[in-house]
Amino acid sequence: MNGFAAGLWESLVSGSKLIWPQIFLTFAATVMLWPADLFVEKARKHVWAPITMVILALTGALIYLTEPGVGFSDMYKVDGLTKGFQALIVLAAFLAVMLSQKLLDALREQTVEYYALILFSLVGMLTLVGATDLMTVYFSIELMAICIYILVAYLRDQNRGVEAGLKYFLLGAFSSGILLYGMSLVFAAVGGVTTNLAELNRLLPVVPQSSSLLVFSGVLMVLVGLCFKVAAVPFHMWSPDAYEGAPTPITAFMATAPKAAAMGAFLRVFGTGFAGVSSDWMLPLSYVAGASMILGNIAAVRQQTMKRLLAYSSIAHAGYMLLGVLGKGVDNAQAVWLYLLTYLVMNTGAFAVVIILQGKGEGERIDDFRGLAKRRPFLAFAMMMFLLSLAGIPPLVGFFGKFYLFKLAVESGLTTLVVIALVTSAISAFYYLGVVNQMYFKEPADLPEGAEPEVLSTGMTLIVGVTCVLTLVGTLAGPWLVNTMFRITWI
Amino acid sequence: MEALLASIAKNIFVIFGLLAVGGATAMVASRSAVHSVLAFLFAMLNIAGCFLALGAEFLGMAQILVYAGGIVVLFLFVVMLVEMAKGKETNKAVFTAQAKVAAPVVVAGAFAFLAVFKDTVFGASAAQALTLKPGLAEGLDVARNNAQAVSRGLFADYLLPFEVLSVILLVALVGAVVLAKTERV
Repeated sequence: MNGFAAGLWESLVSGSKLIWPQIFLTFAATVMLWPADLFVEKARKHVWAPITMVILALTGALIYLTEPGVGFSDMYKVDGLTKGFQALIVLAAFLAVMLSQKLLDALREQTVEYYALILFSLVGMLTLVGATDLMTVYFSIELMAICIYILVAYLRDQNRGVEAGLKYFLLGAFSSGILLYGMSLVFAAVGGVTTNLAELNRLLPVVPQSSSLLVFSGVLMVLVGLCFKVAAVPFHMWSPDAYEGAPTPITAFMATAPKAAAMGAFLRVFGTGFAGVSSDWMLPLSYVAGASMILGNIAAVRQQTMKRLLAYSSIAHAGYMLLGVLGKGVDNAQAVWLYLLTYLVMNTGAFAVVIILQGKGEGERIDDFRGLAKRRPFLAFAMMMFLLSLAGIPPLVGFFGKFYLFKLAVESGLTTLVVIALVTSAISAFYYLGVVNQMYFKEPADLPEGAEPEVLSTGMTLIVGVTCVLTLVGTLAGPWLVNTMFRITWI
Repeated sequence: MEALLASIAKNIFVIFGLLAVGGATAMVASRSAVHSVLAFLFAMLNIAGCFLALGAEFLGMAQILVYAGGIVVLFLFVVMLVEMAKGKETNKAVFTAQAKVAAPVVVAGAFAFLAVFKDTVFGASAAQALTLKPGLAEGLDVARNNAQAVSRGLFADYLLPFEVLSVILLVALVGAVVLAKTERV
């Protein structure tokens, strides 16, 4: 008995070394909520934003320092994939917090809970990308999702926000149920002995004929659950409403961090766990990917508001990224990581511009961008770069990520899907350029009397400037990026 | 007498099960919400009895603590508060319209489910489904030491998901406060 207890203690000690970032985040967020918040006056709640940024920077350092390893009875693994995606997620959260500060000040909605919930959702995401067991996958997805449901409905005085939060919550709870049911079917199909991904990969291809239907339905349900989290068609219904109703910084956060986490889980679950039964999920997933590209891009053409346009564009981008999951290999996972990194840069930049305009009571509708080039040349130029980059126009950084992903997809034999991706990319250029057209070639609807000087907060200028420069010259860092990318492995 | 006692002991699971079904029926059928909650409590206690009859003492006790102790009391509070606020509102015809359609659909669905998953649910492997991993069961008679077996699963094998779950509960609390609090800043 003592031997058993000693073994437990030993595995706990060695396992906890792997999750220092999560332990630190949980601890920090809890202390922020209580008792630290008691010492901050009501009018000074905005100090939580810089504190959160410091915590996130420290988390990043902890992630960098974590040694690769496996722990918690093979339920969690730190490897190149884990660390790469964790870095992406922390970066996305950092940018989102930076974007939040001014907007929440303007709305007088600064609270410690907002920042604490971002940190808690991060705990879920960081665990999710390292999860090597279906149980860990499920619970960390739930943690991530519940925090984001609340953040979406954060501005609960606005009907739009509450509606978005409720819709997202109901659909999300439903999809979680499907995901969990799928997992239980997979668990039953292998004889109820394991939920570990590596073990499943060994057992799933050799299940008896009588259980093959069980495997098929289980894998398909897990696929549906994860597709919901990355907002792929036909499980995207929640995303335009949720994107529109959420506070804009949270929209920027949702478009990047949870997507990166869910993609990481997607790559790991389907790349390592269900790789042996790929004939079961390849066809459904390729339909999902194709439909996301087509519907996402075509529906975006008709949107009148900027946030909905970006929501549909993110659905289309999810479709592109699923090409990497379909490609299966480690190199495809690397391409998805690179794509997410470039997407993070340009998407955050675009949302930053929207937030700056929202501070002046505009920027919601695409019409608000009319004549922006005359009023605010710098913002208009930056926005143009982000949009062109999202469309994948060379030599901007978006093209770099897209090119690499599509090249690998062609090599994996997904020619039809790549053709669809290229055609829909051309369609996407149409609506992105439509916004550019509004900014550069249309007269402003009603120019305010007396040209207003460009007053921007330092933080926002910094974000727009840095992301714009990165979008412009990011391709030059290509060799370095590719080198970093090659560290993303799961072996 | 001896024979009667023996047969009761043998069929105790069935007796508790039937009582639980009776409680559940009374819960649905009763007009007053308070009676419904009390019938629900009765059903829950009988389900705990079923667990005990199957030798799952830990689950039985947890059932009594959580459902009978916590949830039913919570229900009673809510029912009383709502009744006080609302007065009596009788709305008998809630489910009658859908029941004609719903009942056959549910039965058909249940049969379809059984037809598809018959082999897995009642197959040879089903009995082993919830056993502990051999490494964890080391030096432990799982059948005798129920609570210990559960604790080993919870705190050794599934420690990480369990801890993540505790953070989820914390987040749910914080979320309720965030969404329900009236004044801010």
